[in-house]
Amino acid sequence: MSFAPRPAVQPWSRVNTARRVQIFLASSLPLAVTALIVLFGGLNPNVALLGVFLPLQLLAAGYVGFASFGRRGVGDASLIVLVLFFATFVLVLLASVVFSLISQGAQAVSWSFISQNNIYVSNTTSLEYGGVGHAIVGTLLIVGLTTIVTVPLGIAMAIYLTQSQSKTRGLVRTLTQAISGLPSVVAGLFILSMAMTLGWERSGLLGSMALLPLMLPTVARVAEEALRLVPVDLRYAALALGAPNYRAFFQVILPAAKSGLVTSILLGIARIIGETAPLLLTVPINNGTSWNPFSGNIMTLPAYIYGYLSSLFEPSQNRAWGAALVLMTVVAILFSAARFLSRSKSLKTKPTKQKASK
Amino acid sequence: MSESSVTKPEPVRRKLSAGPLSRGDKWFFRTTSIAANFAFVLVAFILVFLIIQALPALSSQGFSFIYGTEWNNTKDPIVMQIGPMLWGSLLIGAVGVVIATPLAISLAYLIVFMLSTRLAKVATTLVDLLAALPSVIIGLWGLFVFSPVASEWAMLLNQYLGWFPLFQVGTADNGFVGSPFIAGWIVAIMIVPIITSITREVFSQLDRDLINGALALGGSRFSTFRRVIFPTSAGAVVGAVLLGLGRALGETVAIFYVLQLTFDINWGQILEPKGGAVASMILAKFGEATAEEVSGLTAAGLVLFVLTLGINFLASIIVNRAQPWRKI
Repeated sequence: MSFAPRPAVQPWSRVNTARRVQIFLASSLPLAVTALIVLFGGLNPNVALLGVFLPLQLLAAGYVGFASFGRRGVGDASLIVLVLFFATFVLVLLASVVFSLISQGAQAVSWSFISQNNIYVSNTTSLEYGGVGHAIVGTLLIVGLTTIVTVPLGIAMAIYLTQSQSKTRGLVRTLTQAISGLPSVVAGLFILSMAMTLGWERSGLLGSMALLPLMLPTVARVAEEALRLVPVDLRYAALALGAPNYRAFFQVILPAAKSGLVTSILLGIARIIGETAPLLLTVPINNGTSWNPFSGNIMTLPAYIYGYLSSLFEPSQNRAWGAALVLMTVVAILFSAARFLSRSKSLKTKPTKQKASK
Repeated sequence: MSESSVTKPEPVRRKLSAGPLSRGDKWFFRTTSIAANFAFVLVAFILVFLIIQALPALSSQGFSFIYGTEWNNTKDPIVMQIGPMLWGSLLIGAVGVVIATPLAISLAYLIVFMLSTRLAKVATTLVDLLAALPSVIIGLWGLFVFSPVASEWAMLLNQYLGWFPLFQVGTADNGFVGSPFIAGWIVAIMIVPIITSITREVFSQLDRDLINGALALGGSRFSTFRRVIFPTSAGAVVGAVLLGLGRALGETVAIFYVLQLTFDINWGQILEPKGGAVASMILAKFGEATAEEVSGLTAAGLVLFVLTLGINFLASIIVNRAQPWRKI
């Protein structure tokens, strides 16, 4: 048996200047060529992106990969190009949503838009009159009601999943995860059926009941993760010192997991604050401000957006965009608060976590 | 030997008491287990009340409720069948999953294996932000911003790949708006974050030694992905995709704006502007529904609930089984 002479490849050696130039060319030329073809050749940009840019980029990257590392470089290069292409695509979609929200919504949002309600406003009333004030009040009331009930329930569920030794924990967790995929329209139908069976009136209260099954899984899951991050040694130490389980929880685990639990509440609110379908089915809409979620008509932000969205008149569409921007701002604030809290938490628990895993 | 057994005193059988002892503990665990069992109660309640309200429609329509293709409230007796809607939901879910899966796996791979810690955090936040977008906002954007762009994609697909049965259209001039293709894209945007977050977690929990070993044996990035990363995480990815499918089937408001609902079944011409979605149909018909129709819509909701709960339950089991580190 004879061995073919091996090529003098040193995959571990650093990338030298010639390679750098090649890599630079390979990552810039395809885009430039595509741009030229689109600008001067008049090719449709969408076709050019998939039909010219992607093959060219794959070819160029594959060539550099082959020149650097031989055949194995080709696979690597294609993998990297595809991954970056797809990821950039998602990023562009997200950026498009955020950009159109801000650029379209900013035309409508003003102080009067946020504070006024919609009495005496028709489809064509100019944007100086009327706003989403009543919808903000209604959303806060309905979501607040849901939060008051759901948070203790969800956190108690998380305690059950982390602190008890029951055998049904796996089943409860799986079921909770399955409920998290509950279609929102079904949640609305459920409460509506309940109301029709028991003879209740449609009101804001029904809306907050319909939001409960949608918020509960989020709170339970995030709270469970937060409680799980607390080192189990802490709990054992408390128990060994003679503390009963509930005192170990309230005096040791709860303070350690506090920010994580707040995160679970914030993410739960962010999950339901934009839910539309359940509210459309259960809450009668209103153009005036109502402070009473327990009876009568009440407006919510999603229902407001839904109502003006399909209108053909421009001021109304602007209203929908403005309300969407207000809603998105609330979600973004909740979301960044949750991020901020969970970041400071993970910094604090990092050393202990590493120690525990050793 | 027998002597020693005689002389040795029988060991006293002691009762081990490791359970909750104090009264406070009993209440603590009782309260939490009541809360946990609320999950069962909730599912039972949903089923019971939906069935109570759906029974009149189900008993009058029979099994053809599921596969029939007509909804007519002017006939006497009224005809309510959701076949095209059910099939449309599945079609849109399939399109959404096909689009979302490569996007989500790419994102997860990028976050875990390619970006620095700081950039990975930023990317994770962005993906979570995408998940936090309310569906009515996606619907707004889909109607005014995305639909025109996507209809152009659809036109190009039809122009260049029209020989493929999937991309054929029956009617000549339809503008390519309101098709299952566009609804599938909208759904894909909404399920990408779900699939990404589960896949990312699985990728990041993979045994690093396994990957480093593959690299040390001369594996490249690509071969490591194909031979090590993908086989070990495939189960969880399948579960994540199923979870995404469950979410796609239940999507209501976002699809409502970008899809043209017709009770004419569309078997697979995804660029044709006729489609269906159970959830969106419930919303569309609810406004001017008669009492009988509300019962029919509730029955549709029941079908949707059973379908999504089944898919989600299966997916949760798969995902949990593929993540042994999550077990206590």
